[in-house]
Amino acid sequence: MQRVLLIGDGARENAFASALSYLRLYALSSFINPGIKKIVDSSGGKYYIGDINSQEFVKKVKDDVNPDFAIIGPEDPLFHGISDVFYQEGIPVIGASSKNSMIEKSKTWMRQLMWKYGIPGRLRFKAFSSIEDAAKFIMEYGGSVAVKPSEQVGGKGVKVVADLQAYLSQEKRLALSKSVDKIGELVSDKVKVIVEERVDGPEYTQHVLTDGQSYLPLPLAQDYKHAYQDGIGPETGGMGSISGPSSLLPFITEEEYEDTFDIVRQTAKAVERETGEKYKGFISGQMMLTDLWGPTVIEYYSRMGDPETSAIIPRIKNFGEVLIRAAEGHLNKVKPEVVETSSVVWVVSPLGYPLDRTIARGKRIFVDVKKIEDFGCQVFFGSTSLEGGQIITQGSRALELVALGDYNEAVKKLERCVSFVGSETRLIYRTDIGKSIDDMIEKAEIIRYSYKKRKSKGTLGISADWSPNGGMW
Amino acid sequence: MAGISGILAFDKVWNVNKFLKYSLIGLQHRGYNFTGVAVYNEGKIESKTYNESPEDAEVSYDGWAGIGYSGSRKGYPVKVGGIAYVVDGVLKENPEEFAKDLLKDPERALENAKGVFNLIALTENEKIIAYRDKFGLRPLFLGGFGFDLGIVSSESSGINVIGGDTKREINPGEMVVLERFNVESKQLRVERKATCSIEYIYQSRIDGILEKSQIYDVRIRIGEELAKEWPISADTVVGVPDTALPFAIGYSRKLGLRVDLGFTRTGSPIRTMIAGDNFLKVVGVQLKLNPIRSAFFGKRIVLIDDSMVTGTTLKNTVFNLRKMGAKEIHILIGSPKLVRPCPYGVEVPSESDLIAANLKDEDIAKVIGADSIHWLSIDGLFRSIGNKDLCYGCMGGIYPG
Repeated sequence: MQRVLLIGDGARENAFASALSYLRLYALSSFINPGIKKIVDSSGGKYYIGDINSQEFVKKVKDDVNPDFAIIGPEDPLFHGISDVFYQEGIPVIGASSKNSMIEKSKTWMRQLMWKYGIPGRLRFKAFSSIEDAAKFIMEYGGSVAVKPSEQVGGKGVKVVADLQAYLSQEKRLALSKSVDKIGELVSDKVKVIVEERVDGPEYTQHVLTDGQSYLPLPLAQDYKHAYQDGIGPETGGMGSISGPSSLLPFITEEEYEDTFDIVRQTAKAVERETGEKYKGFISGQMMLTDLWGPTVIEYYSRMGDPETSAIIPRIKNFGEVLIRAAEGHLNKVKPEVVETSSVVWVVSPLGYPLDRTIARGKRIFVDVKKIEDFGCQVFFGSTSLEGGQIITQGSRALELVALGDYNEAVKKLERCVSFVGSETRLIYRTDIGKSIDDMIEKAEIIRYSYKKRKSKGTLGISADWSPNGGMW
Repeated sequence: MAGISGILAFDKVWNVNKFLKYSLIGLQHRGYNFTGVAVYNEGKIESKTYNESPEDAEVSYDGWAGIGYSGSRKGYPVKVGGIAYVVDGVLKENPEEFAKDLLKDPERALENAKGVFNLIALTENEKIIAYRDKFGLRPLFLGGFGFDLGIVSSESSGINVIGGDTKREINPGEMVVLERFNVESKQLRVERKATCSIEYIYQSRIDGILEKSQIYDVRIRIGEELAKEWPISADTVVGVPDTALPFAIGYSRKLGLRVDLGFTRTGSPIRTMIAGDNFLKVVGVQLKLNPIRSAFFGKRIVLIDDSMVTGTTLKNTVFNLRKMGAKEIHILIGSPKLVRPCPYGVEVPSESDLIAANLKDEDIAKVIGADSIHWLSIDGLFRSIGNKDLCYGCMGGIYPG
């Protein structure tokens, strides 16, 4: 395994590239990511720019590169069958097949699968083909529910209606109707909206890598979805993340880690049974620790999360080898060397992200990579392109800074390093990430007490709603 | 005294006016004679003052950002040109001039402003600016509602009642700016913490927090301190609703003395205390506290209240309890004696009106008609709150600024 083709253009792919830098790295992005380019150049590979979702184009690049294996970072190429291009020709690839990536693409499919196979950590849900029906249902049952688009439409301005109280008021209904129009445009499925029972608790992600035979759980990570400081503001892909110490997070126990691994593994096997295709690549459980189940599935990714990846990869010394072994189908022959030390990631975005990408796009940013490294951080470039020697924002999250150390120490390093990033526009980043760990530990303790109590009474996962007209749900 | 709130939606499709109204209702225990709102919508700010409480005010302006005031002073929001602002505290600047300065350069205006105040401003360049005074005399909180709203409010109740999450206290001397594309904060003045003791004793809502202490816990501890300082041989302890209820619980826990609910209320709590109308005040006292006979009849009572100003209210209560058949009435006050006025806008009357500033304890007992009367000591207050970074000027301490 000498020649690897990496597909994708964000910070996650930059992190993959850094782990594979000792191979000859070929990459395919939709713009020139400065971080990926640097590694491609130094490894003697070649950088291709074009549509990463086009099977035709990817085929051409593949023929040109003739890689020993390929790795696909983002979900969109998976949905568009880019991994299938490699499977069809027998070239090893890390990336779920388009059929298997349904676990991420359709929430309805995912929830149905969990119920069909009786996988723990499942939530009650109802699927609706129109918002009117969903609204009727919500009015009928009241209580706490979460309303979500039935398909992955991430980053396209569709908001989750989290709170029924507001939803039922005129103010929120106005907001909702706009969201719903958008959902209608973006969701091709007949089912447009799903309503789930609402749960609360600390969230975490478990990424599992599989070669179709064995399953390798990676260290846990947590990402931070709100755009602005202190957990305020619109939803983003993630403004930072934490991972560790060791394979856990301070608020998740070994037992919960194992239970989560079990849930994700069962899900991957259930997907295989439904699609008839081996699940290969990453499957990532976006989890919440709840009093209903303990580990509970909020959604699945068919790839690694971004910015979780940047927190995880620098903590695994031999991640490149892990990827190679997975591609070869010998994942059982490698043991990941996870460092004990935890990590914190801060994402830096241009002003305007995520609400108005036209404001966020086309701005020069200045990054003193050497200084950042001197002060103990790593930088992975995200939505920025190299244009005529300048680094130009593409409208989304520009870069990710990673620091290793205990949480306080890592935060101190990041505070220092972030000062070596400048721009002609204002930069947005959250200095609270890595700080409020104790609150989450306290919250998790209370939840742990409750779900263990349920476990001992045999009522784990059992819940219901009732209305006079609709009966039990 | 006042409660102030500011709400900004990150998506312009939102209309915040109802949220603003409910947020202010969540603050009206801080003062409710006047309500004021200013709402921003596409290039202009509309504002209005109402001579009624937030729960009675019909807030009709639509927009995606707004600020509001519920309190005892007329005139808020101040609106001049492209800016409107509300204040909790005392701002010693010309209101119009200050508005202009604030719009031009918020940092400088706030750094240089005289007075001790919290402020929330709404600007036509689509910002909400919040500032907490450097002493942190009064509370000010930052919160959010899902991915949709950013909120600043005097108390966590102003955030939580609309379904939002309180994120943190704004630091003394800190300015927070909410915009659609960012939430930014800056420390404008060096913090010199001196939180208002009255906030802990009765001003803040019982479900609130202040300087990381739970208000409820502090008030339970005040009851426990009273029990240590003044253990009285009695049949039952009763707290005057609502503030003194936890004092009675704490007192009961410490001494193993039974606790009773002694009063019920008629009508909405806020309509019984309309300041400035003496007739209504007298009638209001009756409305506020309707004693439950079996809690008092034939018993030796420890009655705990949160404060005593002129003593009129307590005198009335004691009279009514005697009439109901209370055998002994011992009064405990969950606050040190209020002997001086507040220069920062908390409505402690002038010294000449304060009974504790004018009479000896035994004379006060005579006036009130109680068997005994005692106050929490200053040290007891410190112990209950757990620190001494307090303003207790009205109790004879030093005024911080």
